[in-house]
Amino acid sequence: MSETRSLLLEIHCEEIPARFLAPLAVEFTEGILAFIREQLQVELSAETFYSPRKLAWRVKGLPAAQADQRETQVGPPRRMCVDAEGRPAQTGLKFAEKWGVGFDQVRFEQPAGKKEPCAVVTLVRTGRPTLDLLAEALPRLITSLHVPKAMRWGSSEFLFVRPIRNLLCLFGGDVVPFALDGVSAGSTTWGHRLYHMDHPQPVAVPGPEAYEKTLEGAGVVVSCPERRQRLEQQLTALAGAAGGRVVADEHLLDTLAEIVEYPTIILGAFPEAFLTLPKEVLVTSLAEHQKAFCVEGPDGALLPAFLTAANRPDDPEGFLKSGNEWVLRARLYDARFFFDEDRKQPLLERLEKLKQLTFQRELGSYYDKTQRIAALSGAMASSLGLDGTDGRLVAQACKCDLVTLMVGEFPELQGIMGGEYLKRENAHEKVWTAVKEHYQPLSADSPIPASSLGGILAIADKLDTVAGCFAIGQIPTGSKDPLALRRAGQGIIRILFERGWNLNPMAIAALALEGIGAKATRPAQETLEALEAFFRDRAGHQLEQAGYPGAVRRAALAAGWTDLVDLKARCEALAIFADDPRFQSLAQSAKRIGNILKDEAEPGELDPARLREPEELALAAHLARLEAVAEQDQLLRGLAELAGPLEAFFSAVMVKCEEPALRAARLALLHRLRGAFLRVADFSLWQ
Amino acid sequence: MHIQELILRLQRFWADRGCLIGQPYDLEKGAGTMNPLTFFGALGPRPWNVAYVEPSRRPADGRYGENPFRVYKHLQMQVILKPSPAKVQDLYIESLEAMGVDLRKHDLRFEEDNWEAPTLGAWGVGWQVMLDGMEISQFTYFQQVGGMDCRPVSAEITYGIERICMFLTGIDNIFDLTWGEVKTDDGVFPVSYRTVRQREEFELSAYSFEHADLDLHWRMFEAFEKEGWRLLKDHGHFLSGYEQALKMSHTFNVLDARGAVSTTERPGIIKRVRDLTCACARAHVDREQAMLEAAKGEGVPA
Repeated sequence: MSETRSLLLEIHCEEIPARFLAPLAVEFTEGILAFIREQLQVELSAETFYSPRKLAWRVKGLPAAQADQRETQVGPPRRMCVDAEGRPAQTGLKFAEKWGVGFDQVRFEQPAGKKEPCAVVTLVRTGRPTLDLLAEALPRLITSLHVPKAMRWGSSEFLFVRPIRNLLCLFGGDVVPFALDGVSAGSTTWGHRLYHMDHPQPVAVPGPEAYEKTLEGAGVVVSCPERRQRLEQQLTALAGAAGGRVVADEHLLDTLAEIVEYPTIILGAFPEAFLTLPKEVLVTSLAEHQKAFCVEGPDGALLPAFLTAANRPDDPEGFLKSGNEWVLRARLYDARFFFDEDRKQPLLERLEKLKQLTFQRELGSYYDKTQRIAALSGAMASSLGLDGTDGRLVAQACKCDLVTLMVGEFPELQGIMGGEYLKRENAHEKVWTAVKEHYQPLSADSPIPASSLGGILAIADKLDTVAGCFAIGQIPTGSKDPLALRRAGQGIIRILFERGWNLNPMAIAALALEGIGAKATRPAQETLEALEAFFRDRAGHQLEQAGYPGAVRRAALAAGWTDLVDLKARCEALAIFADDPRFQSLAQSAKRIGNILKDEAEPGELDPARLREPEELALAAHLARLEAVAEQDQLLRGLAELAGPLEAFFSAVMVKCEEPALRAARLALLHRLRGAFLRVADFSLWQ
Repeated sequence: MHIQELILRLQRFWADRGCLIGQPYDLEKGAGTMNPLTFFGALGPRPWNVAYVEPSRRPADGRYGENPFRVYKHLQMQVILKPSPAKVQDLYIESLEAMGVDLRKHDLRFEEDNWEAPTLGAWGVGWQVMLDGMEISQFTYFQQVGGMDCRPVSAEITYGIERICMFLTGIDNIFDLTWGEVKTDDGVFPVSYRTVRQREEFELSAYSFEHADLDLHWRMFEAFEKEGWRLLKDHGHFLSGYEQALKMSHTFNVLDARGAVSTTERPGIIKRVRDLTCACARAHVDREQAMLEAAKGEGVPA
């Protein structure tokens, strides 16, 4: 490859929504790299840059032009192209004319697959300059970007994420000549708005390599990771200066890095009086309304300080600090208004109001749901040997916060507010904790309820949702799970699994279905079958999350899953043997046993006296010892030791022999063996 | 900065940039967008720049005149620019300077905030404009109004007058703002927002949270709806029909503030308002279209 150059493209828009920046940057990267691969036959990588007003890419190492393309065209046989004297015939001349060459450039060769020599020409297509190719391709690549909420502006029909106000596009030192919606690409761009207040001219970018530096000079840090890193450093330093540490929120930090062009953290304060609000309210209110972090002291209690980002390097007259403080006071004043108003009425008095709040059209109101949860958690508590009274009480209270002002304002505080209000009404600690925890786990890696009562309530609530929705035919399929039932189902299994509670999910699901009763629109049996498949999948997923290998999961699940405590113990034991080669052999034998028994009627009792070969006698002896073992891992050790005798048995003994009594005894032996296996796992799925 | 001074500066600014200065529409409404100058003005091909102040009533925000930040009724300065100019953001920034904000000392951000008015069949994309962390304006490119695509697209800028005034003066209580000064033979008397508005806040809050007759409001809602459709269908009158839709909308807001509308009923009620506003919008566009064609036929410029 001779000369290579870099491509730089920057689309400068009015402020692009933060959530679209990264997806658009990635999608265009794929498009431009695919184009380079196809047209220039090189595999390159791209650097991406974005800020609120910019989407930019740089690709280094593009050839200045396409390579010349040689292609061979085959024409009619030689005998038709030249006459007997070797002079060009009509057909030959036409072939040359068709490809735009003189007849003297036509050769005669016998190409593969032809029986005789034919006319052949080799054409050389001169590679086009990359600049031209880019000028043609870029508008197409940009307009074909998938923009989720595209808009129009002015009088144009053009659609994009936000109005395009400038295009910078350089290929080495040249401008790539193209235009979009009347905006022509050039070699200049715009920096930070503040910068351009004093420098009203556009900024010239001398070349693709000078991009970041030029923009930094004009007040824009164009790399998002760089902005994030600078913000993070300042957050840590300023929180320390305020005598505490940042209440971490990675998502908020990502957002801040995406919404500023020049990253600066501002430290502000709010009146201490607001610290009487629950910590969750302050953290949520600051994050949601002011995109601000809270600061906590060494003991975890909040300090009356906050940190937020500004889009400029400094705060020359303190307006940024005082402005943010002003707004935050207004917000916290509102939050305190909600908090005070809500507490004028005991939480439980809102129960009646839940009758007006629809949970799900077919399944009734939140009041109806509350009653079902109460019955379900009462029953669950009893079967776990706990007091059912608390279960029923927390169920009545758990949804009451949905009609409070605070949850109306901050839906993500559901549960938390209910708990906080009950706490302030001097409810028993286990009651308010349970209400507070009952939406947990919120995600796969967040905690499950810490209290037993919270766990029971969480399961009852989620199970009512899952069983109810299944009963009215709202069953998740493929990628469609609008009601997030899989997450709810996973939560149920995870709590049972991690708590080690001996509750059969199908038994409590059946109870939940009874509660749904006549509201169901599908036959109960059908619903139960769908729930069985659903929860079995959830259990499998839980095993995967817990890190058990595929072979262990498949084999263990197939031997039964509804006793989750037992399932966990079996997996635990199996995992120890996961790499033992004897289990591979055992799996082969298990498959063989399965095949042999497949077409046989249920064999009778095993009569060991009928067996005669040493290999089968040894196997029967092993089996007898194994059946006496109760411990899972001892059982597995015994099973592993069975691998050798089984192999020996199958190589020496013909099971389906002629002699009926012997054959019956051998089949009975295998049947008993399979039974012993299935106490732990279905080894035919072990691979 | 006084309330009236802020309004005057903004009106002067936008008048100088080629906007008609409109007046508030004399019916209760929740937002300046509902003024026919915007609702109908944003539809159709005619160039249309207009700016006006609109009192906006939000019964659920009433706080009896006791909350320093929230009120039942506040003032919006509304600007419509159709088609949206290429330098619309720069124009907006100049308007901040006209208000006395020196951006060299402040932090300005445009953060995504898409706007939707379900009762108007309208939506757009845009931003909330944040000055030092406070939302001072809404900025929207209308994509649809009255259920119809906007061609060309209008830019709408909405300024929250009281908030901006509080922010510029650093005053922490809306009622402490100065509305303006009264000069008499005896001297100059500053008049506060409290004097002009606090009693009104108290009575209107009490009305929406306590005294409004709910049965009457449900009946009024039905009656306005019937009247609106009658005007539109029997007489083709979309402006008087639209007024009935505005009354429906406000009646609904009063009922909603009292918690009299359940979550399940809500979408249905909103749809009834929207059906009428959208039908009015279509009637307006049809008439505009017919007029433009007639003008073309006669060779008269539209």
